[in-house]
Amino acid sequence: MLRTENLTFKYTQQLEALRFPDINLKTHENLLILGESGVGKTTLLHLLSGLLKPVTGKIFIQGVPINTLTQRKLDAFRGQEVGLVFQKSYAIKTLNVIENLSARLFFSKTTVNIEDINNLLNQLGLKDCKNNNINELSEGQLQRLAIALAVVHKPKVILADEPTSSLDDNNCKIVMELLVKQAKQTHAHLIVITHDHRVKPFFKNAITL
Amino acid sequence: MNIWKISLQNLKSKPLYTLLSILTLTLSFTLLLGVQQLKTSFKYQMDNNLGEIDLVVGAKGSPLQLVLASVLHLDSPTGNIRYEDALKLAKNPLIKSAVPISYGDNYKGFRIVGTTKAFLALYNSELQEGRHIKNTMEVVLGNSIAKRLDLNIGDTFLSSHGFMEHAIETHNETFTIVGILKPTQKVIDRLIVTNLESVWNVHTHEVELENELHHHEESIDKEHDHDQKGYNSKEITSLLLTSRKPSALLTLPRKINTQTNMQAILPKFELEKLNQYTGVGFNTLSWIAYFILVVSGITIFISLYKMITERSFDLALLRTYGASNVQLIKIVAYEGLIITLFAVILGITLTNLGLYYLLGTLEQNYQYAVLNHLAYKDILLTLKLVLIAVLLSILLAVYPILKMNISTILSHEK
Repeated sequence: MLRTENLTFKYTQQLEALRFPDINLKTHENLLILGESGVGKTTLLHLLSGLLKPVTGKIFIQGVPINTLTQRKLDAFRGQEVGLVFQKSYAIKTLNVIENLSARLFFSKTTVNIEDINNLLNQLGLKDCKNNNINELSEGQLQRLAIALAVVHKPKVILADEPTSSLDDNNCKIVMELLVKQAKQTHAHLIVITHDHRVKPFFKNAITL
Repeated sequence: MNIWKISLQNLKSKPLYTLLSILTLTLSFTLLLGVQQLKTSFKYQMDNNLGEIDLVVGAKGSPLQLVLASVLHLDSPTGNIRYEDALKLAKNPLIKSAVPISYGDNYKGFRIVGTTKAFLALYNSELQEGRHIKNTMEVVLGNSIAKRLDLNIGDTFLSSHGFMEHAIETHNETFTIVGILKPTQKVIDRLIVTNLESVWNVHTHEVELENELHHHEESIDKEHDHDQKGYNSKEITSLLLTSRKPSALLTLPRKINTQTNMQAILPKFELEKLNQYTGVGFNTLSWIAYFILVVSGITIFISLYKMITERSFDLALLRTYGASNVQLIKIVAYEGLIITLFAVILGITLTNLGLYYLLGTLEQNYQYAVLNHLAYKDILLTLKLVLIAVLLSILLAVYPILKMNISTILSHEK
C-alpha cells in the first residue's frame, strides 16, 4: 500500500511551491505518472523514495509514515523497501555485476539466496556476464542490470525515473515488460515517472502532473 | 560483500594514485622509523655501555677519543699510563671500584682486553659456559664473537698486533679459550677478555726478544731482574672508576688533570656532547621525514577527495541502497587505512633491510653492533604519527559527504 496526502515541495530558489496530487495505491496496483519536463516528476519520485522531505503532507509506504522517520531509519527503510531505476542506468563502476548485486544487498541488510539471484539474472539475460565489469556491458545489459539492482532485495515499491526515454521501441517494450513482471513477482508497487507515452499500455492507473 | 572490499576495489580502480600514496607514506614512515631507531640505538649503546663508570682515567689527549676507546671500545686509545700510577689512584678513599684495562691486540678484528674480574661486573656479564680466567694466556669470549667465529672452549688462537683485522704482524703466544659469556647486548659481547698479565706477557716477550737480539750474552743473567723491572714499568691503557659520592666527580678530575700526567674524563659528559653532534644530523633527517609525511597526507587527501567528488553519483547510489553517511565515510576511511597498512608493512620491511645493510657496513668497520632490533615502542610511536596524518587527510576529505545532497546529485547526473 502506498498513499500520499497534500504533498508540496519547494526548492530554496523557487517562489512557488510544487503541489502534487494525492496518490492512493492498493496492494499490487501500479501507477504511471506522466508529465512534461520541469513539472516536478523527479521531485515527486525523490519525495516518494525519501530522498527529499516534503514541505507539507504525508507519505505512507506499507503504513509507515516515511517523512517522520529519522535520517538513519529512513536510509534503512529506503534500502529495504524501495528500489530505484534511473534513466541512465547506473551501477558502481569499480565493482562487477555480481559484486554490484551483493553490495546492494549488503547495504540494504537483506539476504537473498543464491538461487533467487541466479533466477533473476537468468530472467534479465545477464547470466553470462555475471563476472563482467560494468564498462564491459552493453547499453541494454546496463539497463537490465539497473532493473536487477532495483528488485534484487524484493522491495515493496519500485520507482523508475524515465527508464525508457533513451531506448528504442523494441528495448522500451522489453524493459517495461521486465519491470511489470518483476514487480508482480515480488508483490511490489511499480511507479514509473516519464514523459514517454509509449509506456502507457502497460498501466491501468495513470496521473498527469 | 563488505565495506573493506568496496574500498579495496576503489583503490584498485586508481592504481597510480594508490601507488603514489603508498610510496610517499612508506618513505616518510621508513625515514621516521629509521631515524628514531638510530637515535634509540645510539642512546642505548651509550647509556648501557656506560654502566656505572663515572670516570675514565687515561693518557692525555682527546677526551672523546679516550671515552670512545675505553668505554665504547671504538677508537684507538690515547696512549698508555703507568700501572703503578693507576694503582695509587685506585687507593683513593673516594673511589669505590677501579677497573684497569689494557689493550694492544686483536684476534680477527675483535679486541683483546686485559683487565681484572671486576670488568665483567661493570656489564653484569655472566658465564654461559666454561670457567673464569685462572691463568695467564686464558681468555673468555664475548657471546657474539663465539657465535661469529664459531669458537669453542678449548680452542686456541694467536693474536695480531693493533686493532686492525688484517694486521700482518702476529704474536707467537697462544691464547686458550676457557669460557664464553652470556649475551648482554652490550659492548662486552664483542670483546675478548683476558687478564692484564696476558697482555703484558705478549708484549714483554716482545721486548725480551728484542733484548735478546741486541744483548744476547747478558740477557740470561738478568732475566729475573728484568721481570722485576718490567712489572714496575707495566702500563695499562686506562682505568675505569666508580666513585663513592657524586661530589668526588667534581674534585677528583681536577686533581688528576693538574697533578698527574694523566687525564680524568667524565664519560657521561663526553657522550652527551657526542649525542648532541649526531643529534643535528638526526634532526635534519627527522624534519625531512615530517615534510614527506605532510606531502603524503596531502596526496592521500587529494586521492580521497577526488574519489568523493568525481564519483559522487556512485556514493549517492549507495545511499539509495540503504547505506548511511557513516558507511560512506567508512568507505573513504578504509581506503586511507588500507594505504596506511601497506605503507607500514613496507616501511617496517624497508627499515629492517636498510638498517641491516647499515649494520653490515658498520660491523665491517668497527666490529661493533650499534643497532638493536626495531623496538616495538618506536614502531608504535611512528605509527601513531602516521595515523594522525592519515586520519587528518580522511577527515578533510569526507567533508563533502556530510554536505552531500543525494537528490540533487541523482537528478543532475542525468
